[in-house]
Amino acid sequence: MIIKELTKKYDGKPVVDSVSFEIPKGKVISLIGPNGAGKSTVMGIISRLVARDSGMVDFQGEDIGRWKSKKLSKKLAILTQNNHIQMKLTVQELVAFGRFPHSGNRLGKEDMEMIDRAISYMELEEFRDRYIDELSGGQRQRALIAMVIAQDTEYVLLDEPTNNLDIYHATNMMKIVRRLCDELGKTVVLVLHEINYAAFYSDYICAFANGRIAKFGTVEEVMTKENLSEIYKVDFEIQRIQGKPLSIYY
Amino acid sequence: MKTKIYYANIRKLTVMSVLAVIAMGAYMLVDVNFNNERLFAYAMEIRAPKLAVMVITAFAIGGASLIFQSVISNTIVTPCLLGMNSLYTLIHTAVIFFAGSTSMLANNANLSFAADLIIMGVTAMLIYGWLFKKTNYNVLYVLLIGTVLTSFFSSMQSTLTRVMDPNEYDNLLSTLVASFSNVNSEIIIFSLVILALLIFVLRKDLALLNVITLGRQQAINLGVDYDKTIRRLLLGVVSCIAVATAMVGPISFLGLIIANLARQLLQTYRHGQLILGSALFGVIVLVGGQLIVEHVFTYTIPVSVFITVGGGIYFLYLLLVRRRV
Repeated sequence: MIIKELTKKYDGKPVVDSVSFEIPKGKVISLIGPNGAGKSTVMGIISRLVARDSGMVDFQGEDIGRWKSKKLSKKLAILTQNNHIQMKLTVQELVAFGRFPHSGNRLGKEDMEMIDRAISYMELEEFRDRYIDELSGGQRQRALIAMVIAQDTEYVLLDEPTNNLDIYHATNMMKIVRRLCDELGKTVVLVLHEINYAAFYSDYICAFANGRIAKFGTVEEVMTKENLSEIYKVDFEIQRIQGKPLSIYY
Repeated sequence: MKTKIYYANIRKLTVMSVLAVIAMGAYMLVDVNFNNERLFAYAMEIRAPKLAVMVITAFAIGGASLIFQSVISNTIVTPCLLGMNSLYTLIHTAVIFFAGSTSMLANNANLSFAADLIIMGVTAMLIYGWLFKKTNYNVLYVLLIGTVLTSFFSSMQSTLTRVMDPNEYDNLLSTLVASFSNVNSEIIIFSLVILALLIFVLRKDLALLNVITLGRQQAINLGVDYDKTIRRLLLGVVSCIAVATAMVGPISFLGLIIANLARQLLQTYRHGQLILGSALFGVIVLVGGQLIVEHVFTYTIPVSVFITVGGGIYFLYLLLVRRRV
């Protein structure tokens, strides 16, 4: 996926300002940056949820806007933060919706297998027949990820997946992200607020500031004292834990 | 994926269909003189069109309300609360006002209905389509503006009737105040054609309803062309409301009652079952209610009064007891 000169304005004020970068396949890429830096908007644009003003998102040789929505939904899945589901749905029924792009409302044997696999992958067997609105935040998030797994796409985009989760569930979520990439070979793009999760669990980091890309590169390249201080305007120290650069800010 | 709930719901719907058929049979046959052939034929001639109108209304309102609720993802909103039927009344009045009561448009029920339907379709799509986009599907805003629109349309309508020629008004009144005791049966066939056409044209969009209830972003993620689908469904809702209002006049709470009863009873996300359930509840409530009104209260209280009183109480119950908005 190649992003070229992406621009988006709200009321004449650019929130995304000629952003260009390339998303490497089969890796975990984290988008970080302060509030209002434009990372979520970029995520929205590359997943066709948000309209752009100009620029190109080249996805497998064709612009994302020219893809048929249905065809694209077999290749690319997006999970955003606001998932208010009004309906009475069980976990299994929610996960089954992931098969909608492939089989519509009629699910075949293969679909059922994919659903079962997604549910067991996310260790949700015991919640299978529970209603979504009776689950805790962490469990619901897992159910939504299971749905994305059932959707079986090459690309998975997650907008702040650790939002509203406690340390335990957030860390688990990041481990799952890593497994999606390592075990299932997916390209995962996520918007993150916790820099250290980004540093520890991703391959590449794309740092935004003021609607532009401040830094894009491998974790080692981006996670330096100077870069982070410049992006966040706060003092940083870098410590190495398990060979990975982690930041301390104060 | 056929779960336990799915099969349980099929049983529930079967029971409801049986109840609906019993209500319809009772409505046709209670107090009919079977011995006198001419009296029997006379009773049938009066009751059959009324029954047909009630069943069509039940399906139109039941389907429209349920679809509308899913589109806006809130279960206490109905098209009527947003002033769709006052809009229809206004349009109908305006057509007669501007065309004159002696014109073809005023005198031919089908032609008049067709004109109303087209104008209604265009204006409602413009107003509500814009309203939804502008407020970003924020239910509270939509409801608030809808309430204002309801009185706005009604005042415009009453202004028109006030400046109208009294003779024209007299003419208008007979088609305007349709009710269950005075149904507009001339447009039965036309309405059936419209409803059948809608189902045919919207069959693909209707199949997307289950996914649409997951919300805009999820729906797009799963490959739904969201804005286009919503617009098409909305047009369907508007047409159904026009059909129902033209035949029996405005009944505000019916849609709210039957759609929510169906949701409460069936507890599913499957819209096929929900729409059918809502329509069957509609048939049972309307036909059963009319049966009681005609034979127990002998027309002293119209069925719409029961629906409004019952619906009002049910609305409060939904708001205060069952869930927060």
